[in-house]
Amino acid sequence: MSKYTPTVEMGLDRMRERARGNFDLRWMNANPAGWGHTATPGPTGLRLRDVETGHYARVPEHGSDHGSMAPRGCFVPDGTRSLGMYTMNEMSEVWADNAGLLYDEAVVRQWNSVTDVPWHKLEKLPDDIERAVCQMCTGLTEVEFVAGDMPAKWLCRINHDFHEVKLFLATQIMDEARHLDVFRKRALANGGGLMMASPGQEELLATILEAPDYTTASALMHIFGEGFVLTLFREGEFLAPTEVEKTIFRLCMQDEARHVAYGVKHLKYFLERHPDRAEQIHKILDLGEQAMFALTLEPQTSEPRAILAGGGLANIELGMARMAFIYAKQVREYLRRLEVAGLDREPRLTIPKEIPFDELAA
Amino acid sequence: MTDTIFPSTAWFQALARRMEHDWAAYRALGSIDCTMVVRVDAPAGPDLHEIVFEGFKVRSVRRLARLDDAAPDHFVLEASLDTWREMIENIQVNAGPDLTHSLNYLTFPDYPMRVTGPDQLEVDAFYRYNQSLQRFFNGAAVVPTVYAA
Repeated sequence: MSKYTPTVEMGLDRMRERARGNFDLRWMNANPAGWGHTATPGPTGLRLRDVETGHYARVPEHGSDHGSMAPRGCFVPDGTRSLGMYTMNEMSEVWADNAGLLYDEAVVRQWNSVTDVPWHKLEKLPDDIERAVCQMCTGLTEVEFVAGDMPAKWLCRINHDFHEVKLFLATQIMDEARHLDVFRKRALANGGGLMMASPGQEELLATILEAPDYTTASALMHIFGEGFVLTLFREGEFLAPTEVEKTIFRLCMQDEARHVAYGVKHLKYFLERHPDRAEQIHKILDLGEQAMFALTLEPQTSEPRAILAGGGLANIELGMARMAFIYAKQVREYLRRLEVAGLDREPRLTIPKEIPFDELAA
Repeated sequence: MTDTIFPSTAWFQALARRMEHDWAAYRALGSIDCTMVVRVDAPAGPDLHEIVFEGFKVRSVRRLARLDDAAPDHFVLEASLDTWREMIENIQVNAGPDLTHSLNYLTFPDYPMRVTGPDQLEVDAFYRYNQSLQRFFNGAAVVPTVYAA
């Protein structure tokens, strides 16, 4: 009786065959349609779009049903086991025409919080300004990784034939890790620290994470949530008291704009094929708008920004008035992005297009 | 070194040459693929230049007779000549913008600069490539400039 398992015995048998010069070699000609492929690098190097041509550019409307991780375009032997985890097999569920391009862009525009932020330029700030910066960073540390957790929740369910999307979402998870990291670092680096968490943010985060399917979650997070945060990053750069915060917000802004670009193009692709699902998207946006509006007015979210906009606690009211345009800008850009995606949201908007601070103050 | 008139094709080409000279820095920031139209509102009327970025360099610079002549996918960065002048002079004095003269600072409130585009995704390209665009204009620090009357 052998001391080895049947699997090991089978392996040993194969090795004996090879030792006798009997090789299989069928793999060498298993995929004739995919052989002879070449790619020419573009001006920035060899991008996905440079290699995904011909045989390899064919993305199936319905992903392969073998259920394995076998790469799109290869030969998959009969009997290859299904992993039983890919439940998102329709291209329209995840696809965006810019996914491959955004992946390439993400990998060449990576940065890091260790060496790319001029931390040596941090300077002691007035107490009220430091507290405002730290509260803003606390809020951003709290909210940013939803854009990591949400794609991570769906990533392992996406059919491997849609690897452009999977790769892009992987870069987004890394982007959000960096954002969490850099805002936490800023809060802890200059004599302040983390301050108050935001129950309002948690409401919005729950709505994103509990969305019933990927496309509604994406519309809510990529277009609505990240679109609003993109404006907050621009605002952060605008209000930055030193070159350190300015650099952080500028770098984060670029990442966020990539995520928004994917979300807009995905929703466009989806609605072109499923116009009947527009109502479902409207409904999740109803929920998101309500949560975001409540969040906008939460003291720990709005007051630090008003302090920075006013130049200090003494001018917080002036800062609040100065910030009125930011909300209007967020809503305007949100509506315009949905317009690109093919969704006319304006008649359905559940929140005001602008906050009448003057009227409210009167 | 002779002075270069702003705005002019020669001025933007001078920045493009700086970009090539600074290749390693742009390589570190990452590739940039977008079309930017710079609009300068001068007393003599608006002046438009289209700058096409590809990879780590400028592919082309050209003066436009009107905005309709621009590539369909573009964003417009627009301001008065005085605002452009103040920004460029600030970059030259500080070897880069101070806190209140970065592109984002000047455009965020839609005044004194504005970013527009045929649709929001085109405007978003300005945000997506902001570090590279800022560095492009920072090249003005070493371009002796005179201003169109």
